[in-house]
Amino acid sequence: MYTHLHKELEKLKTLSLKMASYVKESLKDCIYAFKNMDTDLAQQIIDGDEKINHLEVKIDEACLKLLALEGPVAKDLRFIIGCMRASIDLERIGDETANIAQTTIILSLKPKLPFYSELTHMGNKSLEMLEYALESFFKPDPDMAIDVCKMDSTVDKLNNDIIREIIAYMIKEIPAIERSVYCINIARRFERIGDLATNIAESGVFIAKGINIKHYCQFDNR
Amino acid sequence: MKPYNTKIKVKNLNFFYGKKQVLFDISMDIYENQVTGLIGPSGCGKSTFLRCLNRMNDLILNTRVQGEVCLDNKNIYDPDVDVVELRRKVGMVFQKPNPFPKSIFENVAYGLRVQGIKDKELIAQRVEESLQMAALWDDVKDRLNESAMGLSGGQQQRLCIARAIAVQPEVLLMDEPASALDPIATRKIEELIFELKKNFTIVIVTHNMQQAARIADYTGFFLMGKLIEMDKTEVIFTKPNKKETEEYITGRFG
Repeated sequence: MYTHLHKELEKLKTLSLKMASYVKESLKDCIYAFKNMDTDLAQQIIDGDEKINHLEVKIDEACLKLLALEGPVAKDLRFIIGCMRASIDLERIGDETANIAQTTIILSLKPKLPFYSELTHMGNKSLEMLEYALESFFKPDPDMAIDVCKMDSTVDKLNNDIIREIIAYMIKEIPAIERSVYCINIARRFERIGDLATNIAESGVFIAKGINIKHYCQFDNR
Repeated sequence: MKPYNTKIKVKNLNFFYGKKQVLFDISMDIYENQVTGLIGPSGCGKSTFLRCLNRMNDLILNTRVQGEVCLDNKNIYDPDVDVVELRRKVGMVFQKPNPFPKSIFENVAYGLRVQGIKDKELIAQRVEESLQMAALWDDVKDRLNESAMGLSGGQQQRLCIARAIAVQPEVLLMDEPASALDPIATRKIEELIFELKKNFTIVIVTHNMQQAARIADYTGFFLMGKLIEMDKTEVIFTKPNKKETEEYITGRFG
């Protein structure tokens, strides 16, 4: 039986998919803008953040209404809670992309540093994580979520390596300290995006299986 | 390890109306001082099952029971069981409030008099205690001799609960006790159930799933005469194990 609640849940899914797609595009664009020092695109990302924020509020309202009026239970309840959690993570990823875009505009006025390609590589890894996380969330496919958790370790390692490299560079090149600090910020933000993508994948597991794998990232032996 | 003592243990229970089997191999533990909710679509057998717990179905002609219902390890279907005593131990509250056309006092005192208690002081004391436990005392203490029929629906149902608990049962069976009441009276009954479980083991049949979610510690889901799933209520309503349960509680069933 297809009920009013299920129609509303479909609407919530559509909203969440829309937000996910905006955030994914924003991350893709911010990596491209950084790589090519494209300030116009960077500005578009900053301006586009409002659209993402607006969707977060809409999802929040839709979830609140469903919880208050429909008395959802079991997988419906878990889907609503999962969407609420994911929308918070997506909004934060949106903020991080806007911050990276902002830093890109600043860096575009200064000479390039040698580790931009590594940062771009790290950005692409975080994008890959987000794409995987969203696919596992919406399918939902809990096994893919475990892959996202594994990918997070790669991004963490890239972050550590890049920061070590930047610090070594700063010691030698004192005039480049300001630019280098901006680059550390970018690395940290990509790393954070990886963490948030992991959260989204974990929310997908919660929806599919009703178990909480936060901070743990495994299904069994719990 | 079981979290609570088992008050009623149902083992492989089958029930027949004539040749038609309506309950199939039901096994269930009902825990002491816990509320067990029974949910399921109309005609799934949950009320029949409830009535098996104090042999109310004995009153219906041409019915047959197989299996065991053990109350404190004693099968209530054993031939030596005194059914009147059984029903004192296992009381029942029905869907529609059914007070006797007597005074409020006499409604509650009725069961005690049937038991042969003649001590007026003891009767008065039990009536007051029962009305207090049923959260009705403050409403009626100044009009105990007035007709029970003058009470509101919610008050009448609480009176029926007082009447059921006056004979000091151990288990209370409730068959949709709030379905004929408005939301405020329903809430009062639900709050009352929270209080009553301190003293009694409660089994409640309800069509209102949110009510089961609110008040039951354990919930059993019945479908076509079978117990599909029984678990802690929070598990049933957040992460049921059976597909049928999930479909029913999320409204995808049918």
